[in-house]
Amino acid sequence: MIAISISLATKAQVSKVYLQASGLTCSMCSNAINKALRTLDFVDNIDADIRTYTFELSFKPGSRVDFDKIKNKVEDAGFSVAGFVAAIYFDNVQLKNNQPVTIGGNTLLFVNGKDRALNGEIRVKLLDKGFVSAKKYKTNALASLSTGEGIYHVTL
Amino acid sequence: MTGPGTLQSKKMRLPLIIIFFLLAQSTRSQELFSATEPASNRAVGSIGVRVDNSIMDELNTSKINYHLIPEIMLGISKTLMVSGDVFFSNRSSVFRSEGGSIYAKYRFLSNDEVQKHFRMAGFGRISYNNSDVHQEEINMYGHNTGVEFGIVATQLLRRIALSSGVSFLNATDNGNNNKFVYGLNNRKALNYTLSFGKLMLPKEYKDYKQTNINFMLEFLSQVNTGSGKYYMDIAPSIQFIFNSQSRVDIGYRRQLSTTLLRTAPNGFFVRLEHNFFNVL
Repeated sequence: MIAISISLATKAQVSKVYLQASGLTCSMCSNAINKALRTLDFVDNIDADIRTYTFELSFKPGSRVDFDKIKNKVEDAGFSVAGFVAAIYFDNVQLKNNQPVTIGGNTLLFVNGKDRALNGEIRVKLLDKGFVSAKKYKTNALASLSTGEGIYHVTL
Repeated sequence: MTGPGTLQSKKMRLPLIIIFFLLAQSTRSQELFSATEPASNRAVGSIGVRVDNSIMDELNTSKINYHLIPEIMLGISKTLMVSGDVFFSNRSSVFRSEGGSIYAKYRFLSNDEVQKHFRMAGFGRISYNNSDVHQEEINMYGHNTGVEFGIVATQLLRRIALSSGVSFLNATDNGNNNKFVYGLNNRKALNYTLSFGKLMLPKEYKDYKQTNINFMLEFLSQVNTGSGKYYMDIAPSIQFIFNSQSRVDIGYRRQLSTTLLRTAPNGFFVRLEHNFFNVL
């Protein structure tokens, strides 16, 4: 709640999400993820690269992009998210140390990139549990940090 | 000089060499086994429709036993699936329904990495059958009334899937007053399975329309906890996956060794399956 109250009001929107799924090697499994992601009402289109198990999601204009719902769809299909990158269009947002940035209902806590201006399309990588592989999550020292709903640790 | 002994051993070695060659090729693999279930589960909200056909050669007769098992499978949650099936066969000289079973599988461990996973699941089956009990082997998939529960572990590693399970079976008398006639102490058994799976084609995935071809090799074994008698079978199969949604498995199951009385251990099986996603 504190994070939300002091976060910056920003002009920014999520334009794309690139996610890599893990735990599968078969096209039937990949297809299950593809079809599950298509049921999200804010998703406009999905480009699946089944060679690299990567899905490129684009969204309906003006809709709230719910990162948790995307992750849950991958898990419901029976698999996990190994990497989750959001391409966000920023309109001159000043990033200050430890200050959260709110974008269309999502609050981002930047763990690097202190004191810089964000302009244009910038890709951020989510670091929280379920958005990276379990192995990576354990090593990125965020295990003790808990976040609320819609609050994410990200790195540039 | 090649003696008859070496010829014999060369003949024995050839199928093994073929098997190792198939397992060692550098493509990706599958775990959708034909004779066992992997630890992975179904997608939430999906429905699978399956039709299993077994064409088994009855020993010491000219009779062919045909078993038909239609099945419906539901993805309840990301960790739980349930399925129900009906058993038909012509064993009693007319083709008729003989019962059915309800099966559930719960995935309790999932360790996923890109292109690999290690998973474990617990499963159980409650089975009803009203045909005569005609063999010492206990089989909850179309022969006996009773329960089966166990655990399965599956390792997927790019081109190879390896799965192993152990389950406990407890047969009771079959319906229609068909008693289990092989001894009160011989109604319980343990099943051990070991399965290899390998994706042969395509070499590289490009789209969901590509047909996948998998090779499976499975070992199926049972030990009766009362009598100590056992069997060991081998079941190679080829699997085709169409449109990333439908599959056809064609396999052959053969007894390698047994001390249990069995009536028709050898035969062909054909599985047809189609999956509907996001329908529940």
